[in-house]
Amino acid sequence: MLQFPKLINSTIFWISQNKWLLFTFIVSLVLYFLPSPEGLSISGYRILIIVFIAISLIISESIPLPGIAFIIITLEVYFGIGDANSIAQSFMNDAVFFVMGSLMLAVAIVRQGWDKRIALGIIWLTGNKTHNVAFGFAAISALLTAFVGEHTVAAIMLPIALTLVRYTSKDIKKVTRLAAYLLFSIAYGSLIGSVGTPSGGGRNVILIHYWQEFGMPEISYLEWMKYAYPLIFVQIPILSWILRKNFTPEYSKLDTGIRRLKTQVTKSDTITPQKITALVIFFLVFLGWIIFSESIGLGIIALTGVVLYLVTGLVTWNDLHKHVNWGVILLFGSTISMGTQINNTGAAAWLANNLIIFAGDLLSTVPIITDTIVVLLTTFLANVLSSSATVAVLGPITLNLPGDPIHIGLVMAFASAFGFFTAVAAPACTIIYASGLVKAKDF
Amino acid sequence: MKILIAISSKEYSKPTLQVGMWIAKAFNASVTIAYVGQKFSAFATSDIGLAEESIAKWGIDRPGVKVLEWAFNYLAEHKYFNAETIETGFQRNTLVDRGKNRLELFLKGTFCEDVNLILRRGDIIPELRNEVHREGYDITIIGGSKKRRMAHDLVQYIDSSIFVVNNFLEHQEYRLLQAVDDSKGTEKALEYGSQVAKAFNFAADVLTVSKRDIFGKGYMGAHKKALRAFEKVGIKPNSMLKVGDPVKTVLDTATKNHLIVMGVSHLNPIIKFLKGSKPLHVMKQCSCPILIVK
Repeated sequence: MLQFPKLINSTIFWISQNKWLLFTFIVSLVLYFLPSPEGLSISGYRILIIVFIAISLIISESIPLPGIAFIIITLEVYFGIGDANSIAQSFMNDAVFFVMGSLMLAVAIVRQGWDKRIALGIIWLTGNKTHNVAFGFAAISALLTAFVGEHTVAAIMLPIALTLVRYTSKDIKKVTRLAAYLLFSIAYGSLIGSVGTPSGGGRNVILIHYWQEFGMPEISYLEWMKYAYPLIFVQIPILSWILRKNFTPEYSKLDTGIRRLKTQVTKSDTITPQKITALVIFFLVFLGWIIFSESIGLGIIALTGVVLYLVTGLVTWNDLHKHVNWGVILLFGSTISMGTQINNTGAAAWLANNLIIFAGDLLSTVPIITDTIVVLLTTFLANVLSSSATVAVLGPITLNLPGDPIHIGLVMAFASAFGFFTAVAAPACTIIYASGLVKAKDF
Repeated sequence: MKILIAISSKEYSKPTLQVGMWIAKAFNASVTIAYVGQKFSAFATSDIGLAEESIAKWGIDRPGVKVLEWAFNYLAEHKYFNAETIETGFQRNTLVDRGKNRLELFLKGTFCEDVNLILRRGDIIPELRNEVHREGYDITIIGGSKKRRMAHDLVQYIDSSIFVVNNFLEHQEYRLLQAVDDSKGTEKALEYGSQVAKAFNFAADVLTVSKRDIFGKGYMGAHKKALRAFEKVGIKPNSMLKVGDPVKTVLDTATKNHLIVMGVSHLNPIIKFLKGSKPLHVMKQCSCPILIVK
């Protein structure tokens, strides 16, 4: 039996570990009993309380992600914002299918072992000069991420960079700047590329979902690419220049590293029928996104790709199950549901109107002011909350601001990819941070 | 007896591992050496797992494995493993995933059955607390930290005796400073202290501090009992009766070549949390190794 002092001590420990949870609970309870502000419906006010709870819990990670997701959807029902069925309907949609599908596609693609071929490609393109190699890492990461997602690219590129670093010097302390230079080229390259196409990141698909859900004009896969993809080519050289200035590598040439990497990958890399099949399936998925995404949705196409990978035996369900973060999928569903309710209850319009009143005529007369507000809000939240959750929460509000919703949505998508300042902003940043070779302050 | 040794890197953890293994050997205790890696955003746990599997295919270790390998080599060099284990070497592919971010490597020791290496990921205090809860360790050995909060949390939340290896010097001749009063914690602390002194042949100072000029029956009784306990294990202790503030006096008496041994405070946990306790204050301020016995 637990002794009384031990019980007290365990309680103190629980409190010390759950300060944010308690803070969130107390503040939201106080807010609940306060009258709703003028012009805002009760359900609108209550959904904003849920937004506060969600943001606070996501930032603090005081409870597991699925727990946050369940808090959001259950409170939507308890607060009378919607009935169980309507909330369930807003919870599952094509954007969630896409997130689920893209996470599974990532596992399937990483499993095929294309990393060695990519390594050979980079070496062939860049030669052995460190700056060229880093530029190659950034460019390949950005160009690939636009199609396969940043977590896939980071997982593929990370071992290549780490191997190169290890082959350059066995003592990692002698190549810390080189390691940081290459790893940031991958992470930031992936971030830049993630806005290139709608399938580059879950947040892009959330925006497309909001445009559809709120009856706003939409753009096709290719139209999105037309707006966004060229930006990647502008950003890559700027990124490389900034990284070059910040992380002057210890070696200007990577002769030994490149030579040994080349030997290793040439020895072990073979093109198998499985690898070709995997590539063909992904190409079909990509074609599907371009041709059919408007009629059947990006998510359904991604899931079709997953089915093909499973049917051909290129990936097993156990593998998918193990490596797919179901908590993230549930959280996506719940934040999108919350975003939909922010719009439906009028809370988004109320917040946008207050912003318009606060800014006076500036918002309607100087369009760049709206863009600036959207960029600042999105960039700030993306760096503390994660970029996808930011778009899910802020999307309904910013899309209600004066101006073309397509324009505002794209500004938001681009700004959300500027999660350069923290390791939590994007999966690619967290993946390189987890390697232990870059520090939080490096971001 | 079961001992948990928490290590962080080969640069900083050598004294912790060294002292930890000495103590484990002295008590014939089974040992677990734990490395607690950094906690990452829950958003990216699966992505990190996928990336780590990818890098493993390239023969690159995940963070922490190198530290465990260093610990293995240190233990092998000092013959803490049996010959077969030393010959087999560090087998990174035999790290067993026990779920909840815990990987484990079972090995056979020389002075005890088990010498395990484990890799955990998360915040250090909750991870060590979970590990102690799970395996029921008697002593947790950890290196000194500059973070004052860390000392507080270790004493408050970890349910085992705590040994903080502060500024340990390998060739220093250490003395044991046994702090004694009439509290409940003193008895067990005395048991540990006398065993350690016996195992390492340390000279011992038995210190009792009274706030008043008079030493009451309880204090004198405890002091005499402590002297007898050391004499029983063949050590003639130096008796010290001092007047003053207990924390300040212990700190003033302890030199760099002392190992302080104190019993844990049995104050109400809420009071300990808010105001601290004598062992906690000593632990926060001392610059020598300290063992707080629970």
